Amino acid sequence: MIEVGESGSRSEWTRSDVMSETSRSDVDLAVPIGRLRLPNPILVAAGTFGYAREMERVVDLGRLGGVLPKTITWEPRIGNAPWRTVETAAGLLNSIGLDNDGIEAFIAHHLPYLRGLGSAVIVSIAGRTEDEFVRMADRLAIEPGIAALELNISCPNVAHGVDFGADAEKCRRVVSRVRGATDTAILTKLTPNVTRIADIAEGATEGGTDGISLINTVLGMAVDWRARRPLLGNRIGGLSGPAIKPIALRCIYQVAERVSTPLIGIGGIGSIDDVMEFLVTGASAVQIGTANYYDPTVSTRILDGLPDAVRELGARSVIEIVGSLEGLARPGARGPA
Amino acid sequence: MIDSDRQTPRYADTLVHASVPIVSNERIAFDTYRLRFHCAEMATRFVPGQFLMVRIDGCQDPLLGRPFALFDTVLDAEERPIGIDVVYLVKGKLTSRLAKLERGAVLGVWGPLGNGFAPVAARRLIMAAGGIGQTPFLALGRESLGRRAYGTPARPILDVPDVILLYGARSADRLAGVDAFRDAGIDVRIATEDGSAGHRGRVTELLEACLAESASARGGVQVVACGPDPMLEAVSRLTREARVACRVSLETPMACGIGICFSCVARVRDGEGWDYRRTCVEGPVFAADSIVWSVKPGGRNDRA
Repeated sequence: MIEVGESGSRSEWTRSDVMSETSRSDVDLAVPIGRLRLPNPILVAAGTFGYAREMERVVDLGRLGGVLPKTITWEPRIGNAPWRTVETAAGLLNSIGLDNDGIEAFIAHHLPYLRGLGSAVIVSIAGRTEDEFVRMADRLAIEPGIAALELNISCPNVAHGVDFGADAEKCRRVVSRVRGATDTAILTKLTPNVTRIADIAEGATEGGTDGISLINTVLGMAVDWRARRPLLGNRIGGLSGPAIKPIALRCIYQVAERVSTPLIGIGGIGSIDDVMEFLVTGASAVQIGTANYYDPTVSTRILDGLPDAVRELGARSVIEIVGSLEGLARPGARGPA
Repeated sequence: MIDSDRQTPRYADTLVHASVPIVSNERIAFDTYRLRFHCAEMATRFVPGQFLMVRIDGCQDPLLGRPFALFDTVLDAEERPIGIDVVYLVKGKLTSRLAKLERGAVLGVWGPLGNGFAPVAARRLIMAAGGIGQTPFLALGRESLGRRAYGTPARPILDVPDVILLYGARSADRLAGVDAFRDAGIDVRIATEDGSAGHRGRVTELLEACLAESASARGGVQVVACGPDPMLEAVSRLTREARVACRVSLETPMACGIGICFSCVARVRDGEGWDYRRTCVEGPVFAADSIVWSVKPGGRNDRA
């Protein structure tokens, strides 16, 4: 575990016996996301944590509520030309372009490692077509050790990346077809780059998703006016980091009022306060993304602080505080079992 | 011996992530500063050519860390490593803010990162630096001359008799740390574009002369280089023509430094073609011949 002392002290991760999260406190951190049961609500977001192996000596991976390796595609993708990231005010613009070696390389080289972590492995997949999503889900269905799939229907940095995430009916259809191909839990990751995100969330819910992850990055751009050119190799990209947290919270709020499907909040989360804001607003869990880049041990430190924060609200479980925001009107029809 | 061209990623196996106060932060040349902090756990693990990430603790703008090479470790009275020195050039938002920070301001730091240089086994080591690209070479020079052992467990004490720094800068006022190199026993040869110090011209011209003079050197010559891509490409060509082993340390923009963001990619030869590889975990040090150089508009160092 990480020991963080007063300013000027040193913290260093050392592998030590770690008690289970529930035994170390009387606060129940477990959360259900449809058929998916997570030991705690602190996950790390796809594309911001490599394939987890990079972090094995940095973070005690087995403590995380879930690990999402970098999004995979059916075919290998070389990714976009540099620059792939540019820092902007309190944020990071990226256009990596789903650089990955394809699904078979993932199954051969990364999945064996991931399934040994003792943490829920949620595989983020991106298909170019409905059929490709189905084919990927089908291929992964026979692989043990996968707790859930996350459908990345919202990557802004590849052609057709957001097609399914920008249209409620297309979203419903792709989720529904993947639902038919696998018994694994499904999360659907939405883009904020739409007019009414709750409509898309409704499509995902009708398609049978177990949970909805939101948000992916916000489209943005950075320009060097002296050179008269964009800074990203791909010209435009997706903004993440603290700059987008208010957008993500607003999206959670709007979607929480429309559907009862469990939500996973993503967007600028870098502290326990951020996590609590998302939980109260309606997220059952969160994914930490860009903060992993600038504060590599943040995820387990946040987890350390979670029981005290839950107790501060007079609660004994995370479930009690989810969506407890004053005035939030959640629909009752369909909820977690 | 140079290790094989095809490298396996080196993940952060000994990473220390700490909040540390600045011990000193002094200007040593035009827009160039030498920053010191204490962190014995990190300092004892560093080997030459590795880097660390530095950010302003708790600050959201600038948000991300920036990669900096180990300039040198700081030793206590018993010669145990207790701190890290970094030399940086003011270039953007973070370094501009950093330059204004005083002793006591708290930084977030994580490292050591990357592969670093393999211990040098040649009789003559030529280190070619362009601009702020000199920063990885003080530690490498010290180690090669047998003056200091780095890493845990400590790397072998070396005995390279002849260590030369070829240092190119725009002008004399931008030369940083030359005394530190000379005090370490390194033969420093300077080139400036305006002729205000040393040879008037480019560092690659110094390299050509040095390679010619080294042609008869017995026991082998090795070149290492760090600087802008066009310079590294030229160094790569010159050393290939001279049939001298060359390794380059790439300067690529990074967001995380630990292999999880896939920003810092370089084109690395892979079979018949090339693939984007992360310089933070597969580098930053590469065999010069393994890099597919690209200086077309929009390329990496084209924007520096």
